[in-house]
Amino acid sequence: MVSRDEIKHLGWLSRLELTEEEISKYALQIEKIIGYLDKLDSISLSEIEPIRSKKNISELRKDRIQPFKGDPLLSSKYRKDGFIKGPRLS
Amino acid sequence: MNQEFSAEEYISQILERIEKVDDKINAFIIVDSNGALEKARLIDKKVRNGEHAKDVGSLAGVAIGIKDNICTKGLRTTCASKMLQDYVPPYDATVIKKLKDDGAIVVGKLNLDEFAMGSTTEFSMYGSTRNPWNTSYVPGGSSGGSGASVAASECAISLGSDTGGSVRCPASFCSVVGLKPTYGRVSRFGLISYANSLEQIGPIGKTVSDVVMVMNSISGMDNNDQTTVDGETPKYSLQSNGNIRVGLLKEMVEGADPEISKCVYSAMDLFSNLGCRCEETSMKSIEYALASYYTIAMAESSSNLARYDNIRYGFDLSPDNYECNAYFAKVRSNFGQEVKRRIITGSYVLSSGYYGKYYLKAQKVRAILKQEIVSLLKTFDVLIGPTMPVLPFKFGEKIDDPLKMYMIDIDTVVANLTGIPSISIPAGFSKNLPIGLQIMAGEFQEQILFNAALLFESSANVQRSPDL
Amino acid sequence: MLSGIKIGLEIHCQLTYLQTKLFCPCYSDYRFKTPNSNICPICYGHPGTLPLLNKDALEHASLLSNALGCKIPNEIIFYRKNYFYPDLPKNFQLTQYNAYGITSIGVDGKLEYGTDTTKSARIRRIQLEEDPGRLVYEDNSMGSNSFYTLIDYNRAGVSLVEIVTEPDFTTPKDVRIFLNKITSIVEHLRICDTRLEGAVRCDANVSIGEGKKVEIKNIGSFKEVEKALSYEITRQKTMSSREIEIKAETRHWDDARKITKQARVKETEEDYRYFPEPDIPTIVLENSFLLALKRKMPELPDERRRRFITTYELGDHVSQVLLDNKDLADFFESAIAIYPSPKAIANWIVSDLIKFINADDHNRSERNHHRSTSISGLKIEAKHIAELAKLVDQNIISRTTAKGFINQMIKTGEMPSQLLQKTNASKIDDKNIILDAIEIVFRDEKSAVNDARQNSKATNFLLGKIIHLTKGKVDPKIALDLINKKLFESA
Repeated sequence: MVSRDEIKHLGWLSRLELTEEEISKYALQIEKIIGYLDKLDSISLSEIEPIRSKKNISELRKDRIQPFKGDPLLSSKYRKDGFIKGPRLS
Repeated sequence: MNQEFSAEEYISQILERIEKVDDKINAFIIVDSNGALEKARLIDKKVRNGEHAKDVGSLAGVAIGIKDNICTKGLRTTCASKMLQDYVPPYDATVIKKLKDDGAIVVGKLNLDEFAMGSTTEFSMYGSTRNPWNTSYVPGGSSGGSGASVAASECAISLGSDTGGSVRCPASFCSVVGLKPTYGRVSRFGLISYANSLEQIGPIGKTVSDVVMVMNSISGMDNNDQTTVDGETPKYSLQSNGNIRVGLLKEMVEGADPEISKCVYSAMDLFSNLGCRCEETSMKSIEYALASYYTIAMAESSSNLARYDNIRYGFDLSPDNYECNAYFAKVRSNFGQEVKRRIITGSYVLSSGYYGKYYLKAQKVRAILKQEIVSLLKTFDVLIGPTMPVLPFKFGEKIDDPLKMYMIDIDTVVANLTGIPSISIPAGFSKNLPIGLQIMAGEFQEQILFNAALLFESSANVQRSPDL
Repeated sequence: MLSGIKIGLEIHCQLTYLQTKLFCPCYSDYRFKTPNSNICPICYGHPGTLPLLNKDALEHASLLSNALGCKIPNEIIFYRKNYFYPDLPKNFQLTQYNAYGITSIGVDGKLEYGTDTTKSARIRRIQLEEDPGRLVYEDNSMGSNSFYTLIDYNRAGVSLVEIVTEPDFTTPKDVRIFLNKITSIVEHLRICDTRLEGAVRCDANVSIGEGKKVEIKNIGSFKEVEKALSYEITRQKTMSSREIEIKAETRHWDDARKITKQARVKETEEDYRYFPEPDIPTIVLENSFLLALKRKMPELPDERRRRFITTYELGDHVSQVLLDNKDLADFFESAIAIYPSPKAIANWIVSDLIKFINADDHNRSERNHHRSTSISGLKIEAKHIAELAKLVDQNIISRTTAKGFINQMIKTGEMPSQLLQKTNASKIDDKNIILDAIEIVFRDEKSAVNDARQNSKATNFLLGKIIHLTKGKVDPKIALDLINKKLFESA
């Protein structure tokens, strides 16, 4: 059972402003989806370990400077005195 | 490069074609006419100056469309989302750089489901793309623009991205060839992440040889992507090798609509007649694949999309006078419905106490699927089945039932979960709607895949270009 | 009756000796640069970019794990810690996490500290993670009056190593001693230049008896930690004596008012939704790597201290003081390389030079970060102390004069011999006055006078007497000349 409160909480964790209508709709839809994902409970999994790709430390990036030649701030609209403007902290 | 037909003439024709048909198809978000023509002129100049073919490039002058979740320097890249409405990347994705180095010409950016989340391209801020075979029907997704544009001859080849079937699905629905390479074969640097442990950039073309040509350009180890695999970059060739052991995945065929199953059985017969050893086989754990896929994909996407807070890039909404959490929440309410659904569900499965129940289990299921596939591929060189369990359907048919929509990925997700390469090739039609055959091979065995695909293609002779 | 003060620490050290950031090839040295000029698509969080793990960062962090007696796992994994904050370009931090398996760069270590070797603290874990950007507030205060926040991402992505201890400390003083040792260790390992502003930070947690644990954040420097802890312990004791319950919470250290206050935003169990970073593979650290690492370990403070005691015969306390600050220990060894008198030189440093260094600490954080071979920006170098010790040993100057010279040298950087010449200009060079002094000494030290004809040591002895008699004012050269003349004229 995925409750409206849970959806509200998850909306908060993900910083998504949701309308009351959305909360109700998602509660129903996501409950169905989670119900389907619960299928994972029905397979025996204790013996197996997840696979991850592996690399040796020698294959990693060398500590050599390579400054970026382009303009990373190309799409940054909100600036002041070289800083990026963000919303105020609470 | 045909000397009688210049690159500029060719590109002009392409641009004309786009102008003529894209109103009906809506495959393109942006068309870069000026950039494309300029590049074409440059190539013509090089050819006139007698430059050697290899300096002009193996893909010299070829018109290519790029799914709009792949970064192109200086050219707006939106992921069909308001959250990146005004985003202009300051860098090229590695695949773009490679294609440009080989002389290919980017004609524009192609429509997709927002942030690659969807199977029909109905979830785009720029409206749906339409299936060139019947414009009342969906082209597939999420790389709908990539599939439709090639089918409608708006470009010669296109790039899409495939996380759970997003290249193969539109290839199947639009009767073209689409490949998901082995995970780690092609660099993801510049691919805007949806689910990073599952996705690969893949080419779409009218024929297998087109796809091979692009793969020879874009494959290889990249220092900008630590998940690409070390070793020599392979050069794929066109071989029509008849000695292939083919395994038909029973569960996939039985789960598909009858017309599709029929088509796949015919395909199997064709392989037999061409001298291949064919046999029906089974993959027991496949019933858990979809649950595993969506758990992992949604979890990863909920984190990958966190960076979209409109502070460094996005759309017009100044942060002045907002408190920061309120700003983030307001800005991010501009994601579409499907994206929001996945972010919330993804946060759910990762939230405190649920990690072991969902994400970890899903990763373990991946390991089981991998074990099974590896074992099957000892007996068979390739595994085949339908790409999609259903024929292309009309707009709006599945959009109100998310789970119903997710179900159509049931045959494609296995390749993403296990990392193996998979290609969809045109196999036939039913009710004038395309059916795709899916062929899978072992990790990094793209050459075997291409051999099988080429063998089938040369005999099957299925129509690739609709009348538009 | 209060029992059981328990203090635990979370120490962050920047890996300042790396050239580049943890996940991209931008400069790791971000200080004093124009805002947002030291960034690239990766550390600025552009869509489509992927983290590129820095090989040397793993090495530097591994050295620290070894030094703190930690076990290094054979497989290392990075995790995402998901939360939203304006200084976080991706709205998640790449870090390490051991709840689903031991995969951080070090676990289960132990460090002894203090001269009393029964004191030790257990190291729960060591992890690598990235620094966020820096926030500046519109009206320059951490106030809710500001209309917006200003963000500088130059620091975003710089490598941090975090040391988490068990709550094994019982007094703020012990914490200070421990932190001094950590400082010395990271300096000796050459992984962190602790003099750089913001290079080391420390959060602490404190509980008393059955009371809940209180976290203290925003402590600006190691020096502030002792004060913050003392304050907090007093606060908790007061509450306890009034039977007020101590809640588990996070508090911020207010440096200006020297108090801890409740964090304005309730840091309730933020659900960080940790999961392994898919873009970074599991890193395999083979046994050959770990063995090679052990061989690469530089001399650690404890080893060096033991060497000072055995080889140079220095006392426990003196050795400890020298090793508390790597600069001092280096300075000492440079000085004795010039003039091999370890005990004397050590004493000069520990008794006299040290007060100037401690006074200068206050200026250190504001100074520029150029590293010098001398001590933290003071003009005095090893050669100064070496010569000073030599002149005193040779009785050419008295200890009092020498102490005075130190004051001068700090300011002007002149060598003791230069200062000596200057003072000699105002010295007594009137032969008659000197001859008078010689007369007196020769009369009082008859046996020395006899010895002096054979033995120059005795001559020095006489000179010393004359210097003493004239209160250091006599010019030693002239006096020595006259002594010799007098010695040998009667021969």
